[in-house]
Amino acid sequence: MRKDSGNDARPFARVLIANRGEIALRIIRTCRDLDIDTVAVYSDADVDAAHVRAADAAVRLGPAPAGESYLRGEAIIAAALSTGAEAIHPGYGFLSERAAFAGAVTEAGLVFVGPPARAIEALGDKLAARRTAIAADVPVVPGTFEPAPVDRPDMVDDILSAAEKIGFPLMVKAAAGGGGRGMRRVEEARSLPTALVAASAEAHAAFGDGSVYLEREVRPARHIEVQLLGDATGDVIALGERDCSVQRRHQKLVEETPAPGLTDDERRELHAMAVRAARAAGLSNASTAEFLFDPDRRFWFLEVNARLQVEHGVTELVTDIDLVAEQLWVAAGRPLSDPVRRAADAAATPTRHAIEIRLSAEDPSRDFAPVPGRIDEWVMPAGPGVRVDTAARPGDRVPPDYDPMIAKVMTVAQDRPSAIRRMRRALDEVVVTGIQTTLPFDRALVRDRAFLRDDGSALSTDWVAERWDGPGARSNVRRSAAIAAARASEGASRRSSSLRKDTRSRSAWAASGRESAIDRWPR
Amino acid sequence: MAEMSPARPAYRVDSSPSTAMPDDGSIVVGPDAAIDGSAVVHVGAIGPVEPSGRRAVEVVVDGWRFELHVEDEGRAALRDRATRDRDAAVKPGESLEIRAIIPGRVASVAVAVGDTVETGQTLLAVEAMKMQNELRAPRAGTVLRVPAAAGATVELGDVLVVLE
Repeated sequence: MRKDSGNDARPFARVLIANRGEIALRIIRTCRDLDIDTVAVYSDADVDAAHVRAADAAVRLGPAPAGESYLRGEAIIAAALSTGAEAIHPGYGFLSERAAFAGAVTEAGLVFVGPPARAIEALGDKLAARRTAIAADVPVVPGTFEPAPVDRPDMVDDILSAAEKIGFPLMVKAAAGGGGRGMRRVEEARSLPTALVAASAEAHAAFGDGSVYLEREVRPARHIEVQLLGDATGDVIALGERDCSVQRRHQKLVEETPAPGLTDDERRELHAMAVRAARAAGLSNASTAEFLFDPDRRFWFLEVNARLQVEHGVTELVTDIDLVAEQLWVAAGRPLSDPVRRAADAAATPTRHAIEIRLSAEDPSRDFAPVPGRIDEWVMPAGPGVRVDTAARPGDRVPPDYDPMIAKVMTVAQDRPSAIRRMRRALDEVVVTGIQTTLPFDRALVRDRAFLRDDGSALSTDWVAERWDGPGARSNVRRSAAIAAARASEGASRRSSSLRKDTRSRSAWAASGRESAIDRWPR
Repeated sequence: MAEMSPARPAYRVDSSPSTAMPDDGSIVVGPDAAIDGSAVVHVGAIGPVEPSGRRAVEVVVDGWRFELHVEDEGRAALRDRATRDRDAAVKPGESLEIRAIIPGRVASVAVAVGDTVETGQTLLAVEAMKMQNELRAPRAGTVLRVPAAAGATVELGDVLVVLE
């Protein structure tokens, strides 16, 4: 038996992972590395999913919709108690930033692997986070610090004069916001009252809280965030930053570390600001402080995400720190480890570069519309300096109920050009059939001349809108696709006599086609 | 001397509705068509030849996934012509060009200028890959011209007979 109590070599004997997909599998892997038993939870859409198979035990939560499964906090806590788990790791998304859930986990006598409930609550309110940051002497994007009086027509003049002071165009944002919901861009004063009401209604529908505030639009801007790790003693360190500027509708598409073109001094300044904000907010465990970086090389605090980020892997690749392992140790009450402190000391002078692209079941020629379906072939890259986090397998269905991201492809090398070259090679190795993915976009990005500029000057949150023409890119390869299809059909016909008796028709056809196919990499 | 039986026929490739974009037209792939050398090409599922003569092929090029229908261009053109000629048959008075739907050699010519023909009457035969393909009149009419002569090599789309 592995479960000898009081084992100091592992933080917990058994951990429940309250998530699905690649992040659930990634957390299970670290647990196995640490000799921790794992409990998976799943919905009816994930009965046979990779994370369920990888865990030592699994508990069904309910039907596919997240509200009836992965968001059922009380069912998850009950599953942890009934399976003897000591801690719950929430991953990202779902319940990871719900203060009420974190609190309920603790009240049930379990450990929540993440920041304390009160810190999540304080930071979940963007207005409170802005006030905390400014009190900690961290520059925040100019704007308001209290909810706009949406329901008070008599106060319209007040909000208009505040808006004039901030300057147009400006952003109306939801205090409880995230993912671009409850957000409006306002170009002139007369559109402001309507935008406030619309954003407030949207925020209320999405988050149950209609509070909105005003913020200057910093544009063009780069999106740079700092990885933070803190322990129960209140000690917080920064493990370097990540540039996540390439976004589409506030969803990140690619992330890299270090942020290109920053001086060591700028890095130190940025990391110090993030640590100050985190300490002031009482953060512990893993969290991320997000900043905008403007063309005048100023950083503006945006918000703190009190959880492990999707893109944490690039930080792991350059620091050699397993952030999930550190999260578990910190949650078990250990102070920050020496390797973590050394990595933090070296974070302002990085010697390696890592980049991540998110492979999603989305169609980049149709405005990145989600395209759920069944994966047929599935080949992920490997080799030196390549890491792939995924839970997808050949034959898996990508359910329409959850996030369309199906894999994170990461590369690491001694510098940015090498990491990007390695990413080009890695993406050439990817084979996905059965569904459309964002691969064409990812391939184009790592070949784009502006993106390759190493000072980061071309990176901006407007990159996709300015440089990506999906339908055009697709039509450029249609002729090659038609030729390949014709040749494959020709090859299949040549072999048809020998295959006619084969009853496994589809796979046999596919196999014969592949023999004759023109599978190759560019030379 | 005419070179007989071309090594590779031409194909017509269409997008399947599942992955088609609105302006995706048919692409004709000739015998010498070559794929862009820098493209990363992967052939996925290949279906059987359907009764219509088409075959579904899944191809991924530079990450773009296509479900395509491949059929012999000659056969596709024949079907098109049948459709078009059926339409043409309703409006007599316009001359009608009958074109080669496959490249090959004119094996025999059954009509001469001035002949009147009935719908379905054999006009000529084109031989390709040791197969005789008879061309029949899509509608009744008078033969206006016969540019094709027995023994001549014809390319896809060459005018063979013109009906008044």
